[in-house]
Amino acid sequence: MSRDTPKSTGALIAQLVDGLEPVRPLRLSSGLGFALAGLGVTVATVALLFGIRPDVIAGHFDPVFLLATGLFLLLGLSSAVTVIVMSRPRVGSDHGGWVWAAAMAALLPAAAAIIGIGRGASAFSATAAEHGLDCLTMGSAFAILTFAVLVWWLRRGAPTSPERAGLLTGVAAGSFGIFAFSFHCVYSDIVHIGLWHSAVVVVSAAVGRIAVPQLIRW
Amino acid sequence: MKADEPSLARLMAMAQAGDKQAYAALLGECQHWLRSYFGRRVAPSQLDDLVQETLLALHHKLATWDPARAFLPWLAAIARYRWVDHLRRIYRADETELVDELMGVDEEPAIAARISLERLFAKLPDAQVRAIELVKIEGLSVSEASRACGQSESLIKVNIHRGLKKLTAMIEKA
Repeated sequence: MSRDTPKSTGALIAQLVDGLEPVRPLRLSSGLGFALAGLGVTVATVALLFGIRPDVIAGHFDPVFLLATGLFLLLGLSSAVTVIVMSRPRVGSDHGGWVWAAAMAALLPAAAAIIGIGRGASAFSATAAEHGLDCLTMGSAFAILTFAVLVWWLRRGAPTSPERAGLLTGVAAGSFGIFAFSFHCVYSDIVHIGLWHSAVVVVSAAVGRIAVPQLIRW
Repeated sequence: MKADEPSLARLMAMAQAGDKQAYAALLGECQHWLRSYFGRRVAPSQLDDLVQETLLALHHKLATWDPARAFLPWLAAIARYRWVDHLRRIYRADETELVDELMGVDEEPAIAARISLERLFAKLPDAQVRAIELVKIEGLSVSEASRACGQSESLIKVNIHRGLKKLTAMIEKA
């Protein structure tokens, strides 16, 4: 064995018993509380640093904004809950609920592609790309807090599917990040939201899938 | 006498509260359960190491058991994770290292892994098993394997990819 353990299993058990300290079981509610607190801090940071879009402050919500932010919030919540559940090992657990939220959120880029193709080149102009890159950058930056909270939680736990946990950490962080930044972004255009806001989730998911497993293996 | 699920859950709850006597009894029962679990999956020479590694993991992750849930599914998930990790460690080496292992003085890890793999290979199509055996175990290049078994080079690559993917899924669901 690579670790410093006695050769006899009996001796190991004696050593483990000797080192026993009382522990508090990981609670799902605590994990969710930390994730939501991270989301709250992220939204507050967006509001303080960049301000909230005027129509939201005035209470005149754009339907596309409402639908898109709602979908990102749901995707973030379902993924974050799944990550938190995954921190406690259990044979036979089903961690597939987030897939439905992801399928619903995937309607945004699908709709953006359909509308964008219909509009032609103007939908993909340099100016539109510049605004889009701003959202991609800022949304990804605001994903960091949720990312850190979930990785910290997974390190406390014992995830038995590190790759999937990493992917979902990225999905949750990206969804929360772009959800928060949507309160500042003034564009309610489906092409902008469907392509660039969704890209935040995709990029974050890729980073999570690649980087997180190494951080949470136990 | 084998402890039943409610008894194990009760011992675990007491262990989480810091009861050393209950913890000693629990670890003793876990050791028996783990020996039985791993006994069907790894070579006898690997058994002690894997049982000890899993007991250590259990000790470090005590807080991840939820007192409201059953104990054995939790223990089984930890055991499966350690087993997969054990197999990964043996097979993490690239082709060259694997060949060195097979040719080296200490062949025990490769033989042990081989015993585990035989059981999994039985569930794969023959073409995929052959491709994995030739390239990943015997260390042939893709073109050499192609000549040896009559599959085209691209088919060898596809069969290795699909076979390894199925093996991974089987291990994770086991």
